[in-house]
Amino acid sequence: MEMLRGGAQPKQTYIKRTRTGRINIKAGNKVELVTKWTIAMLAVLTIMAFFFFDYTGLQLERAITETAYNLKTMFLEPTLSHFSWGEAFHQIGITVGLGVLATVIGAIIALFLAFLAAENLSKPWISKSVRVVVAFIRAVPTVLWVLIFAIAAGLGSEAAVLGMLFHSIAYLVKAFSESFEEVDRGILEAMRATGSNWWHMVTHGVLPSTFTYLLSWTFLRFEINFGVAVAMGAAAGAGGIGFELFMASGFYFDLREVGFITYAILIIAIILEIVSTQLKNRYFPAAAKN
Amino acid sequence: MSLLQVEGLGKSYNLETKVLKDVNFTVETGEFVSVIGPSGAGKSTLLRCINRMVEINEGKVIFNNLDVGSLKKKDLRKLRTDIGMVFQHYNLVPRLTVIENVLHGRFGYKTTLQGVLGRFSEEEKEQAFFLLQKLGIEEHAYKRCDQLSGGQQQRVGICRALIQDPKLILCDEPIASLDPNSSKVIMDHLKSITNDLGITCLVNLHQVEVAQDYSDRIIGLRKGEIVFDGKSALLREEQINHIYGTERRELITV
Ligand SMILES: Nc1ncnc2c1ncn2[C@@H]1O[C@H](COP(=O)(O)OP(=O)(O)OP(=O)(O)O)[C@@H](O)[C@H]1O
Ligand SMILES: [Mg+2]
Repeated sequence: MEMLRGGAQPKQTYIKRTRTGRINIKAGNKVELVTKWTIAMLAVLTIMAFFFFDYTGLQLERAITETAYNLKTMFLEPTLSHFSWGEAFHQIGITVGLGVLATVIGAIIALFLAFLAAENLSKPWISKSVRVVVAFIRAVPTVLWVLIFAIAAGLGSEAAVLGMLFHSIAYLVKAFSESFEEVDRGILEAMRATGSNWWHMVTHGVLPSTFTYLLSWTFLRFEINFGVAVAMGAAAGAGGIGFELFMASGFYFDLREVGFITYAILIIAIILEIVSTQLKNRYFPAAAKN
Repeated sequence: MSLLQVEGLGKSYNLETKVLKDVNFTVETGEFVSVIGPSGAGKSTLLRCINRMVEINEGKVIFNNLDVGSLKKKDLRKLRTDIGMVFQHYNLVPRLTVIENVLHGRFGYKTTLQGVLGRFSEEEKEQAFFLLQKLGIEEHAYKRCDQLSGGQQQRVGICRALIQDPKLILCDEPIASLDPNSSKVIMDHLKSITNDLGITCLVNLHQVEVAQDYSDRIIGLRKGEIVFDGKSALLREEQINHIYGTERRELITV
């Protein structure tokens, strides 16, 4: 009798249903649920925050008109008053230099660490340890690293480069190693089967397959580093255009000069973007498509 | 001495299931042997135990009088230069040219520095072109591999195996991704490798007819055990049914 009843019911079903009995087509795992709840909580907290702000002394109308006036002076009447055009170019050069230095050195060091971090090229415990260290470094903001290095090197460009370098390495190790892990296992297997050693596989199998990705990541990081270099000039006295920006706004209260410097930074950022796209198109047409 | 002896070979990837159980067979120099069996029977695993792409758990594999299971790193590399391998999905580096991919077959003979710098001798390059010509794809030598058709890529794969100057070639379902015409071209090339160059071939196949047409000998694998080992002509309907565990009529014949 027991067996008969067991047979009458569907023996084992893989169909998942919602509480209302409708069939699920999402895997419906814990991760999804947690994500949903996190987003909901954050939304609620954000809305609540507006009710707890201290609004005393806020004159909305005056705030808006004065901000508009300031923005107008800043962006419609940009001029240089405390330094010359030549000086401006020189300072921009310093900032770009900081970014290039941190990116290039960072990319080279990150490349080797990424080989150790990639699961398909390394031993599990090595890859895990590198990942943990790198995740820790990435979790601390670049500014903090600069300030930490400033203890040893003093505030200035050295500390800025070291701090940016540190963070760039951590960022690129993650990006690079994930690119390496995308390499088809079959390629590595085939090379190993010919008697190739690890170095042969890496230089002739992994690198050619991922080169364009590595380059894209490096360019992206350079764009980030340029922005960080500007901020470091202001925050850590690393010199360059960021420092002038800091002086103009915080020291001379010269809105027109702030406007000028902002335009200069914007133009440089656009030029960098165009150059990197051009480079990719010319030398790596495959990467531009991706 | 036979070229390859497999004695009591056992392999398991995890504790629950044994993928290969007490597998015994020998292969003589110059033989063309096919391994057939249903999906999951352990054909790929068997092939990968021979050049130790996977570790051997039980028993012995003796290749060219060397105990494969006990080789150290350096000797293992040397062993692998003697065994070429051809794959279902060709496994070429798609962004490199045909000729570069063929020359990858020489890495086993290189030091780290020579390999990293890509130093190949003129003889090696000439040999590569000779092989490409032999397989009829010389004109594509400077094309990137991802621009070739499947059949052409598989021929590049065979060139890469041949330039190793191997004694044995292992083929893991070399024609499973190809249309009937390309399949015939590939199988004819493999056959001529054995006949003309005297290189032994061990081929995993899904198509029983192809195995019967081309091989001297067939090994039937079922659930990790050898259930047939003999001349192709001796493989009858009932043995095939036994290997695949069904009536032949029910199988879709490719
Ligand atoms: N790397 C691995 N880790 C764990 N299990 C594996 C691994 N490779 C294969 N297996 C298992 O071993 C068994 C045999 O696999 P194998 O690939 O050797 O079969 P096959 O005969 O080549 O099948 P097919 O014809 O589908 O290629 C399968 O059950 C598979 O799930
Ligand atoms: Mg297989």
